[in-house]
Amino acid sequence: MTTAQERADLLSKIGLDVQNKAAIGRVLGTGSIGQATERADGRMEAQIRIPPDELSFDPSILVMPHGGDIELELINDDLNTHCALLPSNGDRKFIWLVNHSRGRATLNLDGPGCYYYSSPTGNDEGRGLTGAIVVLGEVPPEARLDRPAQPRP
Amino acid sequence: MTVDYVDAGEAVDQGILNYKTPGGDVAPPVVSDVTYERILNAREEPQNWLTYYGAYNGQRYSPLDQINTENVKRLRPEWIFQAGTTGLIAGASTYSFEAAPIVVDGVMFVAGWDGWVWALDAKTGVEIWRYKHAIPFDVSLCCGNVNRGVAVAQGKVFFVTANAHVLALDATNGKRVWDKTYGDVRAGESATVAPLVVKNMVIVGSSGGEFGVRGHLDAFDIESGEHVWRCYMVPKPGEPGSETWPSDGEAWARGGANCWLTGTFDPETNLLYVGTGNPAPDFDGEVREGDNLYTDSIVAVDVDSGQIRWHYQCTPHDVWDYDSIAECILFEQDDRKLLGHFDKNGYFFVVDRTNGELAQITPFVDRITWGAITRDGQVTAKVYPEKEGEPVHFYPGPAGAKEWTHAAYSPKTGLFYVPVQDTGATATRRRREFKESIPYWGAGVQVDIEDMAGSISAFDGNGEEKWRYRNELPMCASALATGGDLVFAGKPSGEFVALDARSGEQLWQFQCGSGHHSSPTTYSVDGRQYIAVPVGWGAWAEGFLPGMLGAGHGSALIVFALPESS
Repeated sequence: MTTAQERADLLSKIGLDVQNKAAIGRVLGTGSIGQATERADGRMEAQIRIPPDELSFDPSILVMPHGGDIELELINDDLNTHCALLPSNGDRKFIWLVNHSRGRATLNLDGPGCYYYSSPTGNDEGRGLTGAIVVLGEVPPEARLDRPAQPRP
Repeated sequence: MTVDYVDAGEAVDQGILNYKTPGGDVAPPVVSDVTYERILNAREEPQNWLTYYGAYNGQRYSPLDQINTENVKRLRPEWIFQAGTTGLIAGASTYSFEAAPIVVDGVMFVAGWDGWVWALDAKTGVEIWRYKHAIPFDVSLCCGNVNRGVAVAQGKVFFVTANAHVLALDATNGKRVWDKTYGDVRAGESATVAPLVVKNMVIVGSSGGEFGVRGHLDAFDIESGEHVWRCYMVPKPGEPGSETWPSDGEAWARGGANCWLTGTFDPETNLLYVGTGNPAPDFDGEVREGDNLYTDSIVAVDVDSGQIRWHYQCTPHDVWDYDSIAECILFEQDDRKLLGHFDKNGYFFVVDRTNGELAQITPFVDRITWGAITRDGQVTAKVYPEKEGEPVHFYPGPAGAKEWTHAAYSPKTGLFYVPVQDTGATATRRRREFKESIPYWGAGVQVDIEDMAGSISAFDGNGEEKWRYRNELPMCASALATGGDLVFAGKPSGEFVALDARSGEQLWQFQCGSGHHSSPTTYSVDGRQYIAVPVGWGAWAEGFLPGMLGAGHGSALIVFALPESS
C-alpha cells in the first residue's frame, strides 16, 4: 500500500521530482496541486507560478470546481524566459513570460475533464513545464441520458 | 530588496500570432443568405458545396465538368493547408482529418480534430479565421480524435466537439454565437458528426458506440440554440420496439444505436434517413437477447417532430459491430423513390424510402462469412463469438465491407461508386460488467493484417456490379462523383486517384504523402474548378486497417485544379 505521502517521498528519493537527477527533466505531474477560488459571481481565479530552476508550473495541477471563466495570474519567478499556451474556448491563449515577470490570462473551459497546457518553447518542452487544469462537475442535466443511474468504475 | 515584476500583460489568442493582412481575418458575409431553400436546391449552384453530402440526397455528386476524362491528367496541386497539431491532445495517435470541406462563394469552412474549425480562402488556401474549442485530454473518443465537418446557414457555422457540444459560430469571424451541451462525457458520450441544417434546425447525433450509451439524434434551433427535439434510437420499456430487448434488466439503457454520421433528407416525405450504430456490448449478444431495435438500422425520422416513422434493420441482433451508419443515398428508379445503402455487413440494400420496404439486396464484397441475407431480406447468422474464450474469424471485420466513408452516386451514369474493404477479423467473447466511461465490447478483437483487398466498385440501382477498380489495400475514404464523368478516391497508401466513371479506368493519380480517410469535395471560384482533399492517416486505424498502423500520420488539406493556362 502506497499513500500519497509515500509516493511523494519515493519520487523525491529517486530524484524524479527535480531537474537533472534521476531523469534529465522531471516526470510530468509530480508537482503540487492547487484549487481555484470561486468568487460570488461564479468566476474563478488562481495563481500559477514558475519557481526558479524547477521548470514546472506551481501548482502543476490546478482544480476548478466547475466549468466557466477563470482568471489566472501567471508569475515567472525563474531566471529564464518561459511562456504558456493555455486551453480556452475560442482559441488557445498565449503569453510570453520573460524572467521575473507577471501576467494574466482569462480562460473559458467546459467541464468536466482534464486539460493540459505547456510552455511550447524549444528549451522547455519535455522538461516538466507542462501543467494540467482539471474541471470538476457533471454536464448539465438536460445533456444527460434518459436512463436509470448506471455503475461507474 | 524586492524587485518589481516585469508586466507580461494579458495572454492573447494564439491566432493573432499568425500574420494576416489588415482585414484578412474577416470573411465576406457569404453565409448570411444561405437559407433552407438554397440548401434544398444546392446542386443548382455547383460552384458551392453547401452541405455535407453536397445535397440533401447524399449523392456526393457535383455537376461541375471543367475537370473531365480528357484533361484530368493535367490536374495538379493548387494549394495546401497544413494545420498539424501541438501540445498534449486526447488521442494524439489518432487525430486526423475526416471532414468534407464546405464551400460558399469562395470561402471554405472545414473542421479538424480536437475542436478546430477553419475558414479559408477557397482560391488561395490562406486562413481567414480559426476557432479552437478546448477539448479535455481525458474525453472518451469514439473513435479517435476526429470530426466530420461543419454545416452552414443564416450567417453561422455549426459543428460539434469531442466533448459533445454543438456550437454556432459567426461565419464572418469565427466567434461563438451559441454553445449547447448535448451529451454526457461522464457516460462515455462524445460527438463527431457533421451537422445537417434542415428548415430552422441544425441536427446532430451522438457518438459512443463502444461505451454502452443510449444513442440519440437531436435538433436545435438555428438562431437561438434552443433544443427542439431528441429522438432516442433505443426504446424504453413499453415503447414500440422495446420487445426486441430483454424484458428484465437494463440492456436497453446501454443499447447503443448512435447516430454518428450525417443523415439524408427528402423534403417530399419530410423524412430524415439516419443510419444507426451497433448495439452494445458489440460482440456479446447473450446479455441482450432479441433483435435490439433500432440498432444497425435505417431509421426514417419525421424532421418536424423527431418521431420515428419506419425502420429497416440491416443486421438484427448484431454481434460483429456492423453499424448501419452508412449514408442513405436517395435516388429514383422505375418511378419509385428509393434509397441505396451499403452496409458494413457487406450487403447493398435498396429500400423504398416512402415506407421502408426492401426493393433489392445484393452483396458488394467478395468475402462474407458472418452469415447470409436472402434476396427477400431473411438474415441467418453463421459465425459469431458465441462461446466465452473461443475465437472465431469472420468476414467482413468490424470496420465493415464499407466503413463510414461514403459512396457516391452519379445521376449522369446511374451508378453508385462504393469504397470496399475486404478484411476479416477474429473476435473472442470476453464478458465484462458495464461501467460508465469504460469501453464495453464484450470481446477481445484482432483485425487481420494480411490477406486483405479493396476496390472502388460501381453498381447500378439493381445491384448489378458494372466495374471494379481493384486495390491491394482496402479503400477507406469517401468517393466523389462529378459531371466530368470522373470518380475520385483516396488510398490508404496516399495516392489520390481519378477514375473514368463509366469504365473504372484510372486516368490520374497524385501521391499525397499520407493515407486518406475523409471526404473530398469539389467547387469552383471565378469559373475555375477545384478538388479539395483532406488528407491524413489516424482515427481508429486499428479497426479498419491495422496493417497500416505504422504509416506516416499527415494532416494536410490539398486542393487540386487544372493549370490556368493550357
